[in-house]
Amino acid sequence: MISFRYKEKGTAIHKLNPFCKLVWVFSIFVLALIFNNPLYLLLLFLSTLPVIIAARVWREWASLMKFALYLCLVIIIINALVSYHGSSVLWQAPCSVPLMGTPVITLEAIFFGVGMSLRLLTIISAFAILTFTIHPDDIMLAMLKMKLPYKSVLVTSLSTRFIPTLIDDVERISDVQRSRGLELDRGKLMQRIKSRMAIIVPLLSNSLDRTVQVAEAMESRAFGSGEKRTFYKEVKLSKLDVPALIFGFLPLALGTFMRWWGQGDYRYYPALEKISLDGFECSMLALLLFLLCMMVSLAFLKKRIELD
Amino acid sequence: MIKIENFTFYYSDAEKPALEDINLEIQDGEFVLVTGPSGGGKSSLCRCLNGLIPHFYGGKVAGKVEVQGLNVMKHPTKEMATKVGMIFQDPENQLVATDVEREIAFGLENLAFPRNLIAKRMEESLDTLGISGLRYRQVHELSGGEKQKVVIASVLALHPEILILDEPTSELDPKSAEEVLSIVERLNDELGITVVLIEHRLDRVLQHVDRLIVLDQGRVVADGSIRDILNKSYQEITDTGVGMPPIIKLAHELENRGISVNEAPLTVKEGRIMLKGLFQKTPGQLPQCNKKGDNKPVIEVEKLWHVYPGGPAALKNVSLRVNEGEFVAIMGRNASGKTTLVKHFNNLLKPTRGMVAVDGIDTRKATIAELARKVGFVFQNPNDHLFADTIEEEIAFTLKNLGFENGEIRQRVGEILERFKLQEYRKQYPRSLSGGEKQRAALASVLVIQPKILILDEPTRGIEYRLKRELMTFLNKYTSQGNTVILVTHDVETVAEHADRVILLSEGEIVVDGNKRDILSKALLFSPQINRLVQAFDKYGVPDNILTVDELLQTLK
Repeated sequence: MISFRYKEKGTAIHKLNPFCKLVWVFSIFVLALIFNNPLYLLLLFLSTLPVIIAARVWREWASLMKFALYLCLVIIIINALVSYHGSSVLWQAPCSVPLMGTPVITLEAIFFGVGMSLRLLTIISAFAILTFTIHPDDIMLAMLKMKLPYKSVLVTSLSTRFIPTLIDDVERISDVQRSRGLELDRGKLMQRIKSRMAIIVPLLSNSLDRTVQVAEAMESRAFGSGEKRTFYKEVKLSKLDVPALIFGFLPLALGTFMRWWGQGDYRYYPALEKISLDGFECSMLALLLFLLCMMVSLAFLKKRIELD
Repeated sequence: MIKIENFTFYYSDAEKPALEDINLEIQDGEFVLVTGPSGGGKSSLCRCLNGLIPHFYGGKVAGKVEVQGLNVMKHPTKEMATKVGMIFQDPENQLVATDVEREIAFGLENLAFPRNLIAKRMEESLDTLGISGLRYRQVHELSGGEKQKVVIASVLALHPEILILDEPTSELDPKSAEEVLSIVERLNDELGITVVLIEHRLDRVLQHVDRLIVLDQGRVVADGSIRDILNKSYQEITDTGVGMPPIIKLAHELENRGISVNEAPLTVKEGRIMLKGLFQKTPGQLPQCNKKGDNKPVIEVEKLWHVYPGGPAALKNVSLRVNEGEFVAIMGRNASGKTTLVKHFNNLLKPTRGMVAVDGIDTRKATIAELARKVGFVFQNPNDHLFADTIEEEIAFTLKNLGFENGEIRQRVGEILERFKLQEYRKQYPRSLSGGEKQRAALASVLVIQPKILILDEPTRGIEYRLKRELMTFLNKYTSQGNTVILVTHDVETVAEHADRVILLSEGEIVVDGNKRDILSKALLFSPQINRLVQAFDKYGVPDNILTVDELLQTLK
């Protein structure tokens, strides 16, 4: 089983400062929301790939994408079924359906679904970079730097800490109950829900006992003893990180400018717009992609300069 | 120094006190062992030393507890943290960070120590525990023993003057347990840290400690230096249900037969000295061992391989046959494939290659539920078993799963409740019972099917002696009725006393398989205490395959 947990792989991307990655992913996220043009979205999506490859997390990424693709398929189908806009009718229902009128499936509606899917894939792919290449504790520290309260951050980090434990618990308890003849996939829905209780009740009760013990252990190690708290590890920006941080922001700035200029828009309805870029637009888009890809080269550069 | 005066404590909503009129004084640098039956007050006593009682657990308090000059009633746990370090049973529930370095830093960060001091303390504690190799590892990748060492390191980083350990080894395998205990001993010996160790298994620790305190029903039953107490209060201690190590039991039995033993022996070496004079006079008879090899086979395993997805082979070409009425112990190091093997017997795992037949049925062609009528599987922790609203429902659940009729369910549940002395709890919520009752309830919920084969995975880990004896007596009776018991365990002494046959696994392969007497004797450290004791006397004609105290006493007659 491929786990969606952080693994230390020591690649240039892993070693890059978490803030740089956060900023870069944030840029992709915003750009994916402000651009409508499917070509732009596709290129944004493709620009996350070099990072995934450089970080050697493509296996994890692929299994996540498999799941995301199912989601996209559902989006495309539903959109095609319920959106009757668009002029190129591919199929029309022979009769009208109550509340839905006469369903039609149009080329435009399908393409709209595809466009939205590209946007979704881009965002998921970008966030995958965060989860696969930043240590959860570093995300926590970064959140603290952004002045989030310590206790809420700690609760988040404790819950990530106990996810593997919880998975073990589920496996163990379901072994126990299956040995007692419990068949999870037998019977009607109600029966199935009821049989899940034999796993859920011990799981929740055990977790409750666990929380008390964790709390005891934390108290015993002086948790909450003063207002102030130090952090042994710190997410600090070194001079080498500054260029990466700037290059994380630049695509956002450029993209916003392009969008303001009127670039990257697209209309699906009533008929698909033809995508045509003039020379200026082409060069701007190329510049944007160049800036986005700088992240990987800067990461490698930083790794080479640093001795560690 | 720890000073407890007339201390009484009631948990809120409890009718009986958890601790009653305790008076104790523990000097700096002492190594104190606290023992007693579960529910006797051991854990409560250690929780009042760092203020978890009464600040974390509310309740009624009377009397005084003073630790290093601080009145615990007035100083909450977090203030006591630099005086008293506390280590609990399950390492899993004490680790809060995702990697080892951050874990060790956690307490120091809470106290707002500057970063350079944290770095220094980190190095110290990593080195003291000998775990600097683990420093960059993720916590969830560590083994149980490694986790407990990280816990100790993280507590030690706060430089406590007193270390309290509440059954720190009961979740660990014997090797890790040994390592953890020797680390604790070194901390006491070299750094002069006062240690209060709570353990219900005495055999591993007796030789290390200065003083023994026995608690039962919230009161101190015995308190004094080890040898003193073992001579004077042997009977009182065993009456509370605490199990004595075999050598000490032997010394006591010898005394009872009028053979004078100067001092209770704490180590095997001292035991040998004790026995020296005796054997020269009386070489004895070889004890008989019972054979059950000729019966009908109930489990047949042929060339079994198991590979977990993405992992190395966990079982490699294992072949074996278990017969009706046998009591088999499966032993071996952690991750040697013990649990993987037995999970094939009720189909929780299917063979990657090879074949497993249970009572003539090829497991590849059966479901877990079908095999559940023949094979009962009891897991270590009863909390994983219990979920229903009443004990009755809990037991009936298993029968309902297997499609029994209502009338039969009622009858069987009634019978099993009686056999396990659970009638008075039949309408109670199973999870609110005591540890022993929970274990009985879990066992009853499996045995109600009357399986021909009963598998138990580490059932004796972390349970007190009285319960262990109860369980083993039951299992012996169960096999004598023609049923088969398969026990996965690390507990050599229990196997020596109760099993017939031992299968030793290593790296997924069977290393030896045979009569317990052949396997457990003359096996260097793997042997039970008494066998290690008699090995030195084989030149006097003493049979060198004696395993238990009773057998040894027979030959002495």
